[in-house]
Amino acid sequence: MSLTILAGAIMIALGALAAGIGDSILFARYMEGIARQPEAQGKLFGQTMILFGLIEALPIISIAFGILVLFGIIG
Amino acid sequence: MELTPKVTFLGMTFDLTVIIGSIAAALIVFLFVLFLTRNLSVRPSGKQAVMEYVLDFISGMTGIMMEKKESLKYVSFALTTFLFILISNLLGVVVIVTAEAHGPIPSLGITEALLQTTHEVSWFKSPTSDLNVTIAMAGAVFLYSHLAGLFKHPLAYAREYVKPYWWLFPFVIIDEISKPVTHAARLWANIFAGEVLILILRGATLYFTALPLLVWIGFSVFVGCIQAYIFTVLAMVYIGQKVSAE
Repeated sequence: MSLTILAGAIMIALGALAAGIGDSILFARYMEGIARQPEAQGKLFGQTMILFGLIEALPIISIAFGILVLFGIIG
Repeated sequence: MELTPKVTFLGMTFDLTVIIGSIAAALIVFLFVLFLTRNLSVRPSGKQAVMEYVLDFISGMTGIMMEKKESLKYVSFALTTFLFILISNLLGVVVIVTAEAHGPIPSLGITEALLQTTHEVSWFKSPTSDLNVTIAMAGAVFLYSHLAGLFKHPLAYAREYVKPYWWLFPFVIIDEISKPVTHAARLWANIFAGEVLILILRGATLYFTALPLLVWIGFSVFVGCIQAYIFTVLAMVYIGQKVSAE
């Protein structure tokens, strides 16, 4: 029982960690892009948000399965 | 976790929240679009301008992978997908209907054993927070993209599998299978995680969780819009890859 909770907690924690790293790289590059070409901000913002959604999906899949494990629905 | 009412019919188990949720979302989308497209005129005004803006937005989306002429065929499909997913995502954030079960209800699949964990029965949640719905939608996109490519140019479609080398064939198959799986899981996980966190925050002492709940609801609305957009864009990318194969 407690090991299941630990497993779910690790899944959620690693998902959050990975999302933090991935998003920080993406947004750092976005900032660089704006610094280089301020007039491209509007265009870059839309593209960044799409990529943000694509990156965010993988950790959140891990988090969703972590929640399922945590509540004992699977695993 | 909350319980959901389930009905067994012909040996299959149906989740009533999903059925209610999808019918509600479909009805809202239909009535909304019907309202926006009444009394069309050459000079757009008010509600017609809104609809034209949405259509422009969608046709920009479909034009990512295809030529302009080709992409116009898929605008209505993309519009339907986008609006349905957007409305279903947002419904789950706004509307939460829960009832309390005081005793077991066998016809709705609420048994004594399940009541040991919680008494709350959810009657309405976002249909996209159920994996079966998103798998069905991603599977439909998968079938559509492959059939569209196959009927448009069968030879080019078959040649895609042995590109760039024939021995990469197994990896192409893995790629093709992972597309609908991630496509479905991406939408489901985002909405599911959002709804569960709302439920957890709602269940705790509101003095502590009111502010995080407010922030998270705002973020959920944002995520719902982004994920509806991404699902539609990816569907168009997958279809475009198959259709515009040379």
